[in-house]
Amino acid sequence: MTRLQLLGLAAATALFAATSVHAEGDKAAGRKLIYTCAGCHGVPGYTNAYPQYPVPKIAGQNEQYIVNALQGYQSGDRKHPTMDAQAQSLSATDIQNIAAYLSSLAK
Amino acid sequence: MKRAITLLSFGAILAFASTQLLATGNAENGKQKAATCFACHGVDGNSIDPQYPRLAGQYNLYLQRVLHEYKDGQRNNPIMKGMVATLSDQDIEDVATYFSGLPSKLDTLKGHISGDK
Repeated sequence: MTRLQLLGLAAATALFAATSVHAEGDKAAGRKLIYTCAGCHGVPGYTNAYPQYPVPKIAGQNEQYIVNALQGYQSGDRKHPTMDAQAQSLSATDIQNIAAYLSSLAK
Repeated sequence: MKRAITLLSFGAILAFASTQLLATGNAENGKQKAATCFACHGVDGNSIDPQYPRLAGQYNLYLQRVLHEYKDGQRNNPIMKGMVATLSDQDIEDVATYFSGLPSKLDTLKGHISGDK
């Protein structure tokens, strides 16, 4: 086997490993965790105050986007007083589980 | 007379407030301006790549809010920053109106938490 083929194989393995790291959340565990979320995200047409705009629909949202959003609140890349506080209470596994459950709700 | 004026002004305020909430974007114009969005967010607003959010059926005013946040840097995303740079306030209203009016896979959490159903 040439060196190039070996490199390709290594790259493919790395890629596979990276993709299988996420998207393995536990939906049932996620469902238990989103009880708090429903206080705002479970009320159709509910609006955030100061500034006033609707709280987004998150059931059926894409999995990795949910993960990125929650991690963003944790790291401070994304800011929202309530969501910053909520995200701080979540472990990395909690986030995977929440994302798995929410994305499974797509209509 | 005084009462009538008071009532009328209440009516005017209400009418004004409700038009604000309805957000007067033009979906047809929005579709034209949204052409660059489709590559990642899908023509139907339901992104296939799970790292990008579904926009179809999301609240109009939420989408407008987010686009403004990307524009003023409050929300930091290099791709979206570039995309919104050329959008006017009217463009933002139009694009948000277009995506929010599409058939949706999104929902609120109502009926989806433990103990429901």
